[in-house]
Amino acid sequence: MTTTVREHSALTLRQRLSRLDVRLSPYLYVSPFFLLFGLVGLFPLAYTFVVSLNDWDLIVGPGEWIGFDNYVAELTDPLFWNSLFNTFSIFLLSTVPQLAAALFIAAMLDQNLRAKTFWRLSVILPYVVTPVAVTLIFSSIFSEKYGFANNILQALGLDPVMWKTETLPSHLAIATMVNWRWTGYNALILLAAMQAVPKDIHESAAIDGAGAWRRFFSITIPSIRPTFVFVIVTATIGGLQIFTEPKLFNAQSAIPGGPHREYQTAVLFVWDLAFNRQDFGKASAVAWLLFLIIGAIGFLNFWLSGRIASGEARRATRRTARVLAELRARSASGPDPAPASEPPASESTEEARR
Amino acid sequence: MKLSRRTTTAAAIGGVAALALLVTGCTSAPDDSGDGQITLTVTTFGTMGLDDLYAQYEADHPGIKIDATNIDTGGNALTDWKTKQAAGAGLPDVQAVEEGWLANVMQVPQSFVDLRDYGADDITDRWLDWKVDAVTDPDGRILGYGTDIGPEGLCYNGKLFEAAGLPSDRDAVAELFGGENATWEQFFEVGKQYHAATGKPFYDQSGFIWNAMVNQQPEGYYTKDGSLNVEGNDTLKGLWMQLADGAAAGLSSNQTQWDWGQGQAFVDGSFAVFVCPGWMLATVKGQTEQGGGDASTGWDFADVFPGGAANWGGSWLTVPATSQHPKEAAELAAWLTDTKQEVAAFQASGAFPSVIAAQSDPGVTGESDLTKFFNDAPIGQILAKRAEGVVAQYKGKDDAVIQEQVFGAARVDLDSGAKNGEETWQEAIDALHASGIGE
Repeated sequence: MTTTVREHSALTLRQRLSRLDVRLSPYLYVSPFFLLFGLVGLFPLAYTFVVSLNDWDLIVGPGEWIGFDNYVAELTDPLFWNSLFNTFSIFLLSTVPQLAAALFIAAMLDQNLRAKTFWRLSVILPYVVTPVAVTLIFSSIFSEKYGFANNILQALGLDPVMWKTETLPSHLAIATMVNWRWTGYNALILLAAMQAVPKDIHESAAIDGAGAWRRFFSITIPSIRPTFVFVIVTATIGGLQIFTEPKLFNAQSAIPGGPHREYQTAVLFVWDLAFNRQDFGKASAVAWLLFLIIGAIGFLNFWLSGRIASGEARRATRRTARVLAELRARSASGPDPAPASEPPASESTEEARR
Repeated sequence: MKLSRRTTTAAAIGGVAALALLVTGCTSAPDDSGDGQITLTVTTFGTMGLDDLYAQYEADHPGIKIDATNIDTGGNALTDWKTKQAAGAGLPDVQAVEEGWLANVMQVPQSFVDLRDYGADDITDRWLDWKVDAVTDPDGRILGYGTDIGPEGLCYNGKLFEAAGLPSDRDAVAELFGGENATWEQFFEVGKQYHAATGKPFYDQSGFIWNAMVNQQPEGYYTKDGSLNVEGNDTLKGLWMQLADGAAAGLSSNQTQWDWGQGQAFVDGSFAVFVCPGWMLATVKGQTEQGGGDASTGWDFADVFPGGAANWGGSWLTVPATSQHPKEAAELAAWLTDTKQEVAAFQASGAFPSVIAAQSDPGVTGESDLTKFFNDAPIGQILAKRAEGVVAQYKGKDDAVIQEQVFGAARVDLDSGAKNGEETWQEAIDALHASGIGE
């Protein structure tokens, strides 16, 4: 410390300022994000926790401090578990087909198409429409008595489906909205990753006789794995926070999420608790439970993706070891192996490092 | 690294500056545009018929600009109000409050301006007594000025009645349901006749009928002293079983409330009667027109209501305490609820005035666009008769939640035929327990 001070006094003011600039400016530049995050992220999070420990009526305000009673009450509330079930059901029904379709579309777009830009832009088009508009349109399509979907079913001589008052049909309908909006978006992200796969690997595999399918599964998919993990993580977080679609799917319903809460997701349940039943304390408790669940799933994803990555590395090391062993075996038996065998060995180590 | 004092200060200043920018960016006040103009914000909902009056007020009061928002339904307006009330910000200068959530307002009376400070005492004789009493808090503060009340008559489709071999003439229809002594038994009886003749449902869904049934009792979900009274309430259960009987007989069309297939159900003969408080008349007209119909679709309005006089809804204009211009806001509210304006609102929407002088005004008893739509029915006269004997029922703080969350799901199961009366009543009681109301 003392040395620094002495050093400082030897410098001119200008030099000192310039040094400060270099040392501190970066922190100043990133600070707005952290200040904003503190204001609109961290503070509400902490405040919500405080609210959740109180018996807090929405409009009257805080009542008694009741500790974790709200958490206990909600963990034993069938409506809470119902909302969790709905959330995961809709999440699975949307994410799995969505990512499969996105992968397929990306693979198609990765082919040599005419008017490439046109196709790519078309795929992202649904994403441009706001979720509210999407929901209004789909809500009309899935209307039970006058909807397009049921009209078609009835024209085909089938029974109409109760899209808005039965559990599975309503989940399918909502998953359809989510898929419609997000499939193209994910397809484009996967496409970007596919395009980054070096063409020479594909070419050499093709020369070695690998067909299109083989190349897709053995080269494309492993290469885009990190991107795929990213897409899964974002889809998970989005999927667990579905709100607009179920909220507006049957906007006139007295209970948000269907008459029997058939598609009341967790976030919608929080809203229902806070703004219909005015129980701000319980709503905050559920919000925190949801936060913990999403956090846990986030860590699970992180761990899984870490495993996948290290699995890659392990496989690569094994591959290198195998190649080296083969080379050694060959050099032991063959007459003049050394000059020919060295380059491929180093190449595969190189690849493994990559 | 270590920060010298100077840099800490610099960082702090930078941070505060960034925050200040942010905060000033957020609070863009629409108030007071500088030239001495006052902007009053007004929030209403549904069909209150006030929209055309603002321009006139602005013309008469050059210093005042009105920024009005109309929310589609009372339920959404309630959510809007609750959100802003809880946040303590964003409330308008004049807020319309509906009967169903007046009890929530009474939870926080101090959040509203006592209109006696702005001359309410001088004008309270304008309104029906019970309309003023309902909005007076325990300390005697008057929190709102009455707009409309919701006396209920019966809307029916004359053409469909005729096709079913029932009388279609307004007076004959009133007689058919029992005239002065109309009962729900008779209502369901006529419904069964209609169903037998046509094979079609009689009413759109059971929810509004349930509303009417509950509202016309001396006590509803709460007793007069404010305690919850649903479980073990034999009166309510008896009414529910009547409703269940009607649904089982195929009288309900199981429509979605407030949706009706974008109005198509009002046009395609899905149902033939509809319970109509005054303000609902504009909804019927609007839905029919949205569904492609018009006056020739056959809707009419009869001077009869099963079970006697009933009131559904009706509103007040209040001034939230957060208003920057309570005096001007109170003046606007008083003007909007004066005789002439209530007459105009009635003509626009059918919202029946709570101002006594307006009820007998020729503008209310005479012709309007609405009477033309309803086969020239003298709507104003009919509603005035339907208002006789209406009393305000005590509404508890969770009345709206019970209506929608407790009986809402049970009602859907009843209409879809998924469950019978006993099962759905039990379902409602279970929902009541699950929601934690009254604990």
